[in-house]
Amino acid sequence: MGADHRAFLDATLPHLDVVYQVARHAARDGQDPDDLVQETYLRAYAGFGTYRGGNARAWLAAICLNAARSEARRRRRRPWEVPARALLDALPSVRADGGEAVPDVADVVLADLDAAAVSRCLARLPEPQRLCIVLMDVAGYTARETAEMLRCPRGTVLARVHRGRRKLAQVLAEAGVSYGQP
Amino acid sequence: MDSRDRDHRLLAGFLAGTLGPAEARRWDEHLLECEQCWRAVREDRAGRQAAGLLRQPAPPGLADRVVFAVEVAASARTVAPRHARPGSQARTARPGARLRWLAGAGALAAGLAVALVVVLLPGGRVTGSVPAAVAAVARYARAIPPPARGQSPPVPRQAVPVQVGHPVTVIAGGQRIVVRTWRLGGAEAVVAVSGRPFPMPARAQAISGAGMAWSSRLGTLGLYCRNGPISVLVAAPVPAAELALLAARLPLA
Repeated sequence: MGADHRAFLDATLPHLDVVYQVARHAARDGQDPDDLVQETYLRAYAGFGTYRGGNARAWLAAICLNAARSEARRRRRRPWEVPARALLDALPSVRADGGEAVPDVADVVLADLDAAAVSRCLARLPEPQRLCIVLMDVAGYTARETAEMLRCPRGTVLARVHRGRRKLAQVLAEAGVSYGQP
Repeated sequence: MDSRDRDHRLLAGFLAGTLGPAEARRWDEHLLECEQCWRAVREDRAGRQAAGLLRQPAPPGLADRVVFAVEVAASARTVAPRHARPGSQARTARPGARLRWLAGAGALAAGLAVALVVVLLPGGRVTGSVPAAVAAVARYARAIPPPARGQSPPVPRQAVPVQVGHPVTVIAGGQRIVVRTWRLGGAEAVVAVSGRPFPMPARAQAISGAGMAWSSRLGTLGLYCRNGPISVLVAAPVPAAELALLAARLPLA
């Protein structure tokens, strides 16, 4: 074994936690996030010879997202996506019509935060918004890094993450109301 | 982009702190008066806070697994190019060098064929065909020190197996394998478990009367495998007879 795999591990292993955050939420149904992390590192190692340096953690996340997509294509499954409009239509409690008092979504969400519920509700968001939330709010990437990974303008990323957060809060609030939780 | 969409993007920019001072001040003042936008701000914060709950550190053992997988890939890369390199050099070599290379092409072709199936073994020696799953376990077992003299198995009867470190999961040859290291008295062994059978290496011996079991040696490493619904491969740097005794004392499932 040469020194290159040591150099590779030195450059990439510090970002394992971040890659794991991305893998947990990029993995489709039936895909093991740990397997996805391993596949990410093996792909990254295979391409390390052409890696030009720079932002290693953004490079790893992009590889992880590609690996997840490849696996999803291989399994020929599509992620469950719910149109944004349908989500909002399903939320009577957040539509303030006729001046009727409605519970404040933010209060409901903050009163009962539960990681499992958050994960379930996050999975219901449209993929572009979900990806932006995972990359920025869960994995801690900046908007600029996220824009590079997703190859879209930074303003688009900010708009998606904003819309996604609001919808996440609304879906969580609905879940709280639906199941009688405070 | 309609005005609602533009406002949406401006608010997102305000929350991200990317607006200029004048625009940010305008939004500050607007939020004091507009209940709808203030609600959007609160929902944004709630959503961000909720998403933050999903942060989890990588599970223990994942780093070991990744390092192991990369080392296996690195060792395969080290073996193959040693034989394959002359072929790639031939594309850029000068005519004289190319002729010299062509003169040895037959031997190198044979070497390349071997390179595709060989692995580095404990002690750095190379041997013949070893299935990828078995090679991965053997590579992991390389880290085990041989038993100290005088402490070699058979181990004391009262010795209890103690697991060393975390289990490591690896995928080799398309086969998912969970690898654990056990210490029993003065000896250590690797126990690899898989839902698929471990293929027999070329020189392995089937164990008669034991169904799909086989044993083999790779350098100083002894291998004992019992294939079934759950297949188990034990690897340790001990003689074959001692390996059987060791395997009988270890938890294999």
